[in-house]
Amino acid sequence: MPEGTTHLAIFNEVDPVAEAIHELRELGIPDNQMNIISGLPYSAEMLGREKSWSMIPKFSIIGFVLGFVLSIVLNWGSVLQYPLIVGNLPLFAIPTTIIVTFELSMLGLLLFTFLGVVWENAWPSWGKKVYRKDVSDGKIAIEFICPPEIHTRVHEMLGALGAEWVHRTEATEI
Amino acid sequence: MTTEAVPSGIPVPHSNDVESEENDIREHLMHDPRPRAELNRMVMESMQVTPKSFWVIVGILALLVAVCLFGAWLYMIMKGMGVAGIRRPTFWAMLIANFVFWIGISHAGTFVSAILRVFKAEFRRPITRAAELMTAFGLAAGAMYPLIHLGRVWVGYWIIPYPNQRWLWPNFRSPLVWDLLAITTYLLGSIMYIYLPLIPDLAMARDHSTGWRYQFYRILSFGFTGAEGEWQRIRTAITIFAFAIIPVMFSVHTIVSWDFAMTKTPGWHSTIFGPFFIAGAIFSGVSAVAMILFIVRASMKNMDYFIRKEHFDAFGKLILVFSFVWAYFYFNEFLLAWYAGDASDQFVWNAITQGPNAWLWYLMLVLNIGIPWLTLWNKKVRRTPWMLFVIGFLINIGMYIERYIIVPGMITVNRFPFQWGEYGPRIELVISVGSLSLFLLLYALASRLIPLIPVWEVVEGQHATQLRRIGKAKVPTVTNLE
Repeated sequence: MPEGTTHLAIFNEVDPVAEAIHELRELGIPDNQMNIISGLPYSAEMLGREKSWSMIPKFSIIGFVLGFVLSIVLNWGSVLQYPLIVGNLPLFAIPTTIIVTFELSMLGLLLFTFLGVVWENAWPSWGKKVYRKDVSDGKIAIEFICPPEIHTRVHEMLGALGAEWVHRTEATEI
Repeated sequence: MTTEAVPSGIPVPHSNDVESEENDIREHLMHDPRPRAELNRMVMESMQVTPKSFWVIVGILALLVAVCLFGAWLYMIMKGMGVAGIRRPTFWAMLIANFVFWIGISHAGTFVSAILRVFKAEFRRPITRAAELMTAFGLAAGAMYPLIHLGRVWVGYWIIPYPNQRWLWPNFRSPLVWDLLAITTYLLGSIMYIYLPLIPDLAMARDHSTGWRYQFYRILSFGFTGAEGEWQRIRTAITIFAFAIIPVMFSVHTIVSWDFAMTKTPGWHSTIFGPFFIAGAIFSGVSAVAMILFIVRASMKNMDYFIRKEHFDAFGKLILVFSFVWAYFYFNEFLLAWYAGDASDQFVWNAITQGPNAWLWYLMLVLNIGIPWLTLWNKKVRRTPWMLFVIGFLINIGMYIERYIIVPGMITVNRFPFQWGEYGPRIELVISVGSLSLFLLLYALASRLIPLIPVWEVVEGQHATQLRRIGKAKVPTVTNLE
């Protein structure tokens, strides 16, 4: 746990937020001790943050593969287990299995993509959080951990950049 | 527009024209921004302000669902399939036509949401959720029909892949099992695709409500705060979903068409049934979205800000295009059977186009081709919401007739005169009313619980759109924020 207390700065616009992130970094607060909370998706480039990679595409691929394997088991395994011999018809028919394979592979992909979002976000998380309700009304918040020795400088800098509200804060029920 | 020529030959608009041009542009939601807090308030009000008449309608719909859908179905289970109009040779009839109709309706949600999202059509932003909900509830209504049609619904679990009492597994090479898998995939995929972009709006609703609503939104929003990681993951997943759900959508109605086309029945056995069904599904679905948008706009508070004439205009164009596509496929289907001269095919087509029910066929052509082609070329018609509602309604009747002709129509009078029959729906009519009521009931309840407008998407679109001056004109431009 890094030394310092959690603070929240509220802005009305995204431009000063990007500037504030840069200044906070200059003052010695690393990126991993900052979090941007907003009512709109702003990209890492807009905020001047390093792009973080998501595991979600990997979840999707894993889901696709699992769906594919399941379809093979159902298409071919069930036929082997319970053969139904019908004259002049092949026991294994590739064209018809393609359809089942497609549907189950896509189902796996979609399901695991969704589960990937839930997993990576650690949802559901109904506990206490650092949050302000006016974020959903368009405000943008920077949550950061600030060492006590630079409190004043940080607050002054954020105020000068147009922060509407800067305060030490604690996680609350949302 | 009056213009005056300048020496260079370039026409310069009068200042009044510039104003009227700007007013025209302001008609577009993306160019008429309001503060986020106000948009949130408007959407919350649309859910919370409910007149008494709404609850009366909900009560009537609930009663119809209880009596006409579940009551009639229970009666059919107790008495047997004899209470339906199904007789040899028409074993697939109105229940299956309803199934095809509802699955078709469900295609519009994905079409509007996923395809327009992939192509970054900005006008889609306020209407995606209203269309997506139609997909979910259309599928819910449609997915009941295979169970109702089963008759002995208590053995429906035989289709689930596990060795049953007879030690038989479902035949995965059967189109009926493909159907089950496709609809399951599409239904689950659609629900997840609705839910992902809904989470930020549920969090917004949580922040603006109290009491049971607060608890409801709090649980459903999973604790979303809008942290940058949450946004990034949601956005990545929405993009994956938008691309992945499109082929699933195409597969669903193609497979529904294969329920028919895989048989050697004249009229059904056709190589173009897949795309023909998809064109029809999107045609009827888009028409139904236009109807829903009209009802939502007319019955919910503040919706006239979000759902505008531009949206009806866009839907009018889509309906017209899909009417052309549908007509193209129908003509292909008809011409080949007519020109090839295959006796059994010709017999079926003659029965449909010249038999005692030929009026249905002509009515279908009028409703699906005549009405849209004669009206929707006109911008004024397209921009008049009630007209789009009426046109959408007529098209959906036409598309229902199309399904009715395909299902019982093509097997009742066939190439074997000794096997002709007559089909008249009996309890199916009651069940049809029930399933329509179920769809409307689910939609009505959802409209009061779920923010029908994706506020964050609208605001994002308004941020991305601005007017740029090029020469003397102000031109709308869109920035790619994703």
